Amino acid sequence: MTTFIVRRLFWTIPVILLVILMTFGMMRQIKGNPFRTSERAIPAEIQANLERKYGLNDPWYVQYAKYVKGVATFDLGPSLVLRNRDVNDIVREHFPRSLELGGLAFLFAFVFGIAVGTLSALKANTVFDYGAMFISNVGYAVPSFLVATLLIYFLALQWDLGFPTSGWTTPESKILPVVALGLGPMAAFARLVRGTMLETMQQDYIRTAKAKGLRWRRVVGLHVLRNSLIPVVTAAGPTLGFLITGSFVIEQIFAIPGIGRYYVTAVTSRDYSVVMGLTVLLSIIVILANLFVDVLYGILDPRTRDIRT
Amino acid sequence: MALLEVNNLKTHFFTREGVVRAVDGISFEVESGKTLGIVGESGCGKSVTALSIMGLIPKPPAKIVDGSVLFDGRDLTKLPEKQLEDVRGREIAMIFQDPMTSLNPTLTIGTQITETIRRHYDVPKRQARKKAVELLEEVQIPRAADRLDDYPHRFSGGMRQRVMIAIALSCDPKLLIADEPTTALDVTVQAAVLDLLDDLRQAHEMAMILITHDMGVVAESADDIAVMYGGQIVEQASVNDLFDRPEHPYTEALLGALPQIEGEGIRAGRLTAIPGRPPDLKNPPPACRFAPRCKYANANDTCTTVMPELREIHKDHWVRTAHPACERAGAQVPVQA
Amino acid sequence: MVVNPREAPTPTIAGDVAPLAQGTAGAPLRQSNLWRDAWGRYVRNRAAVAAGAAFVLLLLFCVIWPFVSPYDGNKLDFSLKNEGPSLSHPFGTDNFGRDMMTRTAEGGRVSIGIGFAATIAILLAGVAYGAISGFVGGRLDNAMMRVLDTLYGLPYLPFAIIILAIFGDANFWTMVVALSVVSWFTTARIVRGQIITLKENDYVRAARAVGARWYRILGRHLLPNTLGVLIIAIFLELPGVILGEAFLSFIGLGIGAPDASWGQMANDGRTAYRTSPHIIAVPSIAIATLILSANFIADGLRDALDPRTRET
Repeated sequence: MTTFIVRRLFWTIPVILLVILMTFGMMRQIKGNPFRTSERAIPAEIQANLERKYGLNDPWYVQYAKYVKGVATFDLGPSLVLRNRDVNDIVREHFPRSLELGGLAFLFAFVFGIAVGTLSALKANTVFDYGAMFISNVGYAVPSFLVATLLIYFLALQWDLGFPTSGWTTPESKILPVVALGLGPMAAFARLVRGTMLETMQQDYIRTAKAKGLRWRRVVGLHVLRNSLIPVVTAAGPTLGFLITGSFVIEQIFAIPGIGRYYVTAVTSRDYSVVMGLTVLLSIIVILANLFVDVLYGILDPRTRDIRT
Repeated sequence: MALLEVNNLKTHFFTREGVVRAVDGISFEVESGKTLGIVGESGCGKSVTALSIMGLIPKPPAKIVDGSVLFDGRDLTKLPEKQLEDVRGREIAMIFQDPMTSLNPTLTIGTQITETIRRHYDVPKRQARKKAVELLEEVQIPRAADRLDDYPHRFSGGMRQRVMIAIALSCDPKLLIADEPTTALDVTVQAAVLDLLDDLRQAHEMAMILITHDMGVVAESADDIAVMYGGQIVEQASVNDLFDRPEHPYTEALLGALPQIEGEGIRAGRLTAIPGRPPDLKNPPPACRFAPRCKYANANDTCTTVMPELREIHKDHWVRTAHPACERAGAQVPVQA
Repeated sequence: MVVNPREAPTPTIAGDVAPLAQGTAGAPLRQSNLWRDAWGRYVRNRAAVAAGAAFVLLLLFCVIWPFVSPYDGNKLDFSLKNEGPSLSHPFGTDNFGRDMMTRTAEGGRVSIGIGFAATIAILLAGVAYGAISGFVGGRLDNAMMRVLDTLYGLPYLPFAIIILAIFGDANFWTMVVALSVVSWFTTARIVRGQIITLKENDYVRAARAVGARWYRILGRHLLPNTLGVLIIAIFLELPGVILGEAFLSFIGLGIGAPDASWGQMANDGRTAYRTSPHIIAVPSIAIATLILSANFIADGLRDALDPRTRET
């Protein structure tokens, strides 16, 4: 088991290096210049100085190597557009909020999704099942910005239930954004769990478990659930990654000062180092989320442990 | 009194396309320590019979509509689910056809054995594990103690079936139902598993119901045989009686379809197949279900309009047909049993 | 008695009467065909049929309505701005006084157009990559999968944004490229998985045994059997791409005004949602309808093409 984990961890390093390289390569394709696009025109000499200072004239492999070294030492460099601010500062200030938003949304989606899906499967073809699946289908299809708007419109404005519509401070202020972000994935999990559970319950080994006289609670709780969760866990990884890195829209609607807003502004103003830093950070998050899921998968399904990775 | 008494069992499946009368009036008995073989083609209802006894038929489409299953005096069809759960595994155990899919791939076989033991007996885990090792040794799994924590995918098909047998025996049941236990295994392994079953059965003094489509298997292992066709029993006798003088045209055809390697009167040439296909159990033939394929039935025989009853044609030899072998024109009068 | 097929069979019930009806013992089976069976199963699934109808209707609306509508979707008329749904404007007007119904149809053309174009691109890339990787196998497969694993590590939205920035401009084709580049990995994986499973089938071995060349095996045996999976993949990728385009437009990086796409329209309505919720609601509902119907179609197709997954 440990060799499995170590092996997977080992492989993430070249992946991260490759990702940095790709991001780097792509960034260099973006035309424009962080200094030229700012409001005031900057004299040519100062521009040249700035470029030299930030090392933008070095050959690409030098820049790449320097950057990798920076990443390894957790130094993401200074912002090119916002003077006196390091990328690290920006990250430290704003990223935890995005992380929290994404993380909470994931927990919400995962816990409720599995609960609803399991109940639906156990009560298949009843009113509860039809109702839950109908809501799930709708919840899955409706884009999150509409969900957010509807939630704000009804819960906060029309019915005035005391939910703040912006900011990320008090617990109440966090509920609406988390639900808006997590509703879609929750619906997806619910449908997935229901489907896999129904399929698992048809399997021969469940019949064996019943034939042994095991109590139904145990059959479902251990035998069925163990096997049903495998595809769910597989889907959970990318979902977690997506939720943490893709919360831009929700952040905009609820005016949450996360990194989403910074990212878009940085791209438009060609603030290379901020874009690089944030992209690399987000990539690492996604890769770690996938790794976590792979390990979890190995725990749940012993057959994969014997396959050479 | 017999250990198991099945009386006029009827299990029907209520589907969108109609009612499938999978088991339509079956009666038989199994005595302690004896083996009953149930033989028939795919789809004749033998597996459904076994599942009905255990109460394992899928309840939404299927339902036991009539009959009773008396085990040790209690009617299993009338027991609430909780009590049935107590009977399953502990007093009646079942092993299934496909060992590759009958074990949970995500749990060790040790867990799958010990959970059965600890479900029916209040013993600590260590003791259950010890018993599990003993069971594995009894079914001849080498290095049993080491393999207890292995997962099913580490075992071959034959060994998995042995594990299934170990699980079935773990609580010393009085009756073992084996549903085509060797069908999915290769021939050499088949023989070993059947021998094992037989030895264990004798050692534990269990009764057994052996379900198969293979006449050769029952010839070896059974004391009595019931032949099923189209959801009904068409012939029932002791094993010797059935093979010596089969009465039902279907039984004859089954025996006639067996390939022969040696023996007197050996049939050279093509294997005899039974023409036609098994009946559609949503719309079975109006009377005798074998009539459409039967060599001896004619369009104006009574058996095409009235269902032949199961009658005792010799001592302890029952048959459901209008054309038993001993009554056909030109047949020799059999020696009185 | 041996049954010799050349002789007439001895008289039995079966021989005496007219050919047996379907389903009785001894009757011949009806010819079955995978696609015909699948179509039959699909049609019997009411939800899938309803979804299919909704999908087609939506497409027709978007294609035909702009030709038929009395309004010009880009005509500004501030006197009419922000009106709710009414008889003359069934979907209302937006903050520039433009007729929402016409704009929805036009926006649909763009959004759905991007969706289909990107989906086709995704399929092409995914099939090419997955088929090569799965078919060749061995070390090439390993390497290709490693690369894919790396690509999986790229966050979806940020990279779409970067690609758009590289192009410098967000129009129909740049959107298509951006969205397809970040979305093709899953399809590649699915295709590879399917090819690997199919490769082990005996009919492939049989084809190899009679000396069929690799392109024949691939083209004649493997790819046609992947068709089912691909058709389902279309209806699964399409919603994702449309949603992606909506998200990008919503954060301001989408197709520029005055051209409409559904995401862009939603963005336009963002600020006014308190007073005129219909401006953001209408395009969002359009998106939701498309996604919902595509999902149900995909479910229906999955059940139709693989009956084993049906629950009893």
